[in-house]
Amino acid sequence: MLRYVVRRLLLIVPILLGLSILVFFWVRALPGSPISSLLGERATPQLVQQYRERYGFDEPVYKQYFKQLKSWARADFGTSIATHRQISDEIKQRFPATMELAIAALIFAGGIGVPLGFFAAKKHGGLFDHASLFLSLIGISIPVFFLAIILKYIFAVRLGWLPTVGRISVLIETDHPTNFYVLDAIITRDWNALWDVLKHLILPAVALGSIPLAIITRITRAAVLDVQNEDYVRTARAKGLPPLTVDRRHILRNALLPISTIIGLQAGLLLSGAVLTETVFAYPGIGSWLRDAIFNRDYPVIQGGILFIALVFVLVNLIVDISYAIINPRIRYS
Amino acid sequence: MSVAEVEAREIQLEAPSGLWSEAWRRLRRNPAAIVGFVLVSIFVFVALFAPLVAPYGPLEQGLEGELNFASPSWGHPFGLDPLGRDLFSRVVYGARYSLLIGVVSVAVGLSIGMVIGALAGYLGGWIDSILMRLMDIMLAIPGLLLAIGIVAALGPGLTQIMAAVGATQIPIFARLLRGSILATRETDYVLAARSVGVKGRPILVSHILPNSLSPVIVQGTLALATAIIDVAGLGFLGLGPQDPSTPEWGTMLTDTTRYLQTAPFLALIPGAAIVFSVLGFNLIGDGLREALDPRFRGRA
Amino acid sequence: MRRIALKFGLIAVAGGILLATLGLGGASTARPTLVYGGSADPTYLDPALVSDGESFRVTAAIMEGLVYLKPGTTKVKPRLAIRWKTSGKGKIWTFWLRRGVKFHDGTPFNASAVCFNFNRWYNWKGPFQDASATFYYQAIYYGFKHNEVAGLGAPLYRSCSARGPYKVSIRLRRPSGTFFPSLVVSSFAMQSPKALKQYGADEGELRNGTFVVTGSYAFSHPTGTGPFKFKSWTVGQKVELVRNGDYWGNKAKIDRLIIRPIGTSTGRLQALQNGEVNAYDLAAPQDAATIRSNSKLKVITRPPFNVAYVTIHQGGNSPMNDIKVRQAVAYGLNKQAVVSQFYFGVGKVAKEFIPPSLPGWSDKVETYPYNPTKARQLLNSSSCHVPCKVDFWYPTGISRPYMPDPARNFQAFSASLEASGFQVTAHSAPWRPTYVAKVNEGSAGDLNLIGWSGDYGDPDNFVGTFFKSPNPQFNFQNPAIFNVLTRAANEANYAKRVKLYRQANILIMKYLPAVPYAHSLSLLGAEKRVHNLIAEPTGGTFFQYVTVG
Repeated sequence: MLRYVVRRLLLIVPILLGLSILVFFWVRALPGSPISSLLGERATPQLVQQYRERYGFDEPVYKQYFKQLKSWARADFGTSIATHRQISDEIKQRFPATMELAIAALIFAGGIGVPLGFFAAKKHGGLFDHASLFLSLIGISIPVFFLAIILKYIFAVRLGWLPTVGRISVLIETDHPTNFYVLDAIITRDWNALWDVLKHLILPAVALGSIPLAIITRITRAAVLDVQNEDYVRTARAKGLPPLTVDRRHILRNALLPISTIIGLQAGLLLSGAVLTETVFAYPGIGSWLRDAIFNRDYPVIQGGILFIALVFVLVNLIVDISYAIINPRIRYS
Repeated sequence: MSVAEVEAREIQLEAPSGLWSEAWRRLRRNPAAIVGFVLVSIFVFVALFAPLVAPYGPLEQGLEGELNFASPSWGHPFGLDPLGRDLFSRVVYGARYSLLIGVVSVAVGLSIGMVIGALAGYLGGWIDSILMRLMDIMLAIPGLLLAIGIVAALGPGLTQIMAAVGATQIPIFARLLRGSILATRETDYVLAARSVGVKGRPILVSHILPNSLSPVIVQGTLALATAIIDVAGLGFLGLGPQDPSTPEWGTMLTDTTRYLQTAPFLALIPGAAIVFSVLGFNLIGDGLREALDPRFRGRA
Repeated sequence: MRRIALKFGLIAVAGGILLATLGLGGASTARPTLVYGGSADPTYLDPALVSDGESFRVTAAIMEGLVYLKPGTTKVKPRLAIRWKTSGKGKIWTFWLRRGVKFHDGTPFNASAVCFNFNRWYNWKGPFQDASATFYYQAIYYGFKHNEVAGLGAPLYRSCSARGPYKVSIRLRRPSGTFFPSLVVSSFAMQSPKALKQYGADEGELRNGTFVVTGSYAFSHPTGTGPFKFKSWTVGQKVELVRNGDYWGNKAKIDRLIIRPIGTSTGRLQALQNGEVNAYDLAAPQDAATIRSNSKLKVITRPPFNVAYVTIHQGGNSPMNDIKVRQAVAYGLNKQAVVSQFYFGVGKVAKEFIPPSLPGWSDKVETYPYNPTKARQLLNSSSCHVPCKVDFWYPTGISRPYMPDPARNFQAFSASLEASGFQVTAHSAPWRPTYVAKVNEGSAGDLNLIGWSGDYGDPDNFVGTFFKSPNPQFNFQNPAIFNVLTRAANEANYAKRVKLYRQANILIMKYLPAVPYAHSLSLLGAEKRVHNLIAEPTGGTFFQYVTVG
């Protein structure tokens, strides 16, 4: 077991190194300089020259790379040109927001997807089954930002039930010790704030979670279908166990294995979908931050943001793999 | 990609030959796949024959005098946009862009990916390791973000987003083909062929490749669907075709969402067009996967 | 017995409810809150170290300068200084200061506070001399006490002396016409010396090539004299200001002013429609109709403060060297058609380079209404007969406030030029990263599309920037124009200055180094119950008189 974990951990190193090289050279492939985008019409040749000298590209490439590696190792991702803020500070501020949104989206997707898939499998071949399959296909086929826009329009602008922007109403005064607003509201027992934060989370979480919902539904259905026909289930039924117990103890628990690995892998979809969703809802997370950076051609932010997200993605995959190995003994001993 | 996914994929690949006829039969009986086929056919037809289908050009402005934002009517089934252009015609021409984008991106991803995968799978050894590490690195960055990074380097524009989306498909196809080749390499019939003395190249061509193709075909259709959506997303972020008069569905969406309250059809219709064409490809891809997957046998 | 108890109970309950409502509205002396939608977070809250509109939007509510622009106009009026005079041939400026003004931290505003601020800017060293740190200071004063960075000039400022608590003299090294009007710029607002010192306002460094403030002043302790005080700033969410109850002038009519950043104009529009903001800035012109169609909302316009123009590049063997050819270009551009078709209703045809709201605008300039026949005649009597070949450039991938759709402008202008005897060769380049650089260095053909948004309410910021001295973008030599603009920039007497700029504009529109064609308004969206929200031509918003409801 330990050997597997160690092996898996070692695998990460070349990936991270490769990523760092990729990102490093990507920065140098960017056309022109971001200076011109910042200065706009004010980009007089003198000012541009001043800035160009500043971002010194005169040292040999490998030296620049090692300097860069060292700063990245210190968690110094650079400074944003547009906001002058440290990128690591921005990440610290904004990542909890995105994580909160992603978790909410997963809870939505899993909370609805698992039961949906389960019942679709139980009523295999019936109308419910076909309907849920069809709905899940539509879920995968709707662009996330389009869904976000429509949800926002219907539930916020038209019906006025939910807010359109942000994480919390600007009129509410409350403390944020952890920067996870839901957690903070619970810790400080500010129920008003809790309700407000949840209201702000609903629409973006539904939009972001639509694709994971579709996928989880299908995987659950497939997994349950598989497990249903296994011998141990038939034995359990033959033993005379009540159907609910069979469901819970045998089917669900064993189906949960592939389901949980899929949930971990949704991280990639969630992280990239966040860019679009957060933009539509002006949600102050990593996604909208990246989108603004793209708009401003703020290349240190784009670089730092992509690197950070890739790191998170790699780590999530690692955790998923290790937990899969813990749960599934077959992998351990292979 | 992780062990879990590879394992899941490998299970899918154990398909002996003679699969195709049975697959075709099952596909024909699958109502969802048929719906998908219909949708895709409409999409391709409209895209190919756009000038015949559309009553107006996509750039013709000021139709009906100065009457912009007109609601749907007989002459203009989808209404007019803020510049007086016929929305129906623009959506029809938009199909061309989407088809082009989808096909080119997938072609790029598929061709390069398959070459890499074939080399890795067939040659093995350190070539395999290096190539797969490279693919792992590319996969470490979630799809849309990788595309964003590439477009940021290449600059915005239609060709650039096609290249970027295509590039994100490469590692998927590479892994797929490699896994497929690895699996078929060890099957009985290949071993049998080897033991009789058949050499490398003929085995690759006549045994390994054909049997590795089925997952690639499935992935190809699904990749088309993903490509259309990703390009729409990139367009929404402002990285797509820079000329706002281009009738590309995703770009059409960016500027019309502001009119949701006064003229909702302007955004809803291109959006619906995206959903339906993507749905079509997903349905077919799904149907193909079910038809080709032995696990679902006996579960019509 | 029961009935009495019941009655008592009812009265008690009713009384309780009454008390409770009174108690709740016992904030009934509470004034409303205004939530305002901006487009991005501020960079820093120390206006001396920023140059972006979102930072100024906040700091202008907290801090004040010696003078300011009458809200909604470009007329300079007293603010913290009540009167002033020049002496020493325009090199000495004496200000009499308003009495009884306190900074938000309780310290008095007086002459020594003024000198503290001026000297603070003048004495900046090292990273603070970077162009990204102190843009406006460098633009007006050119240099510091000890210039450490290349590209800085001889400083304009010499010294500041307090002649008593409410009288201060500022000495310049040379006479300047831009010094006084520049005092309205938010960067030069008066900040509390005590707070500046206490919270490390002068701690900063260059990190990864970008100037970064390291003290806490610019993040959490901006201290001025204005009608609003700083309360909090949550990045990505809001900046919260509260009413200054000790303000020296008309106190604010709202208790809280909250500015929240929403990145897209559609997002801001929907927030307004949904009641999450009471007003917002930078409304897209396409949304004006949507806002107006809502019975609870209204559109507020901001007077134009920009100009879109066609550069005419001269020099070498260019046909543009000939005045007749330049006049033909002016007559050959169909400005009215472009403005009415491609500006979504917020464009106005420009007669000259500066917008009408700016002093120095002249009604007597030569105008060139579209006249293809006249253009052809001019060409045929010039050195470039019909068809006169020109290279015409336009940018792609951008939309500017003064030029929402460059490609459309280009197509229309191209067509009208061709109808006027020109033969146009089209060129384009992406705005980022190449177009602006090419225009600035003069390598974007004979004609190109570009524009300018004003930084501060002074004509030197428009015409001075371009035509005061030889400039590769236009590449012309016209001593008369150079002279009058330089004299105007140095003229301390305001009335004389305005006359000089009027002259300059007449000369410019006669000589035609470029052809201005449009100014565009910018728009705000607001709820109808928001009153006295004033949009400043320079791009800011004036909140002091706002009432809600």
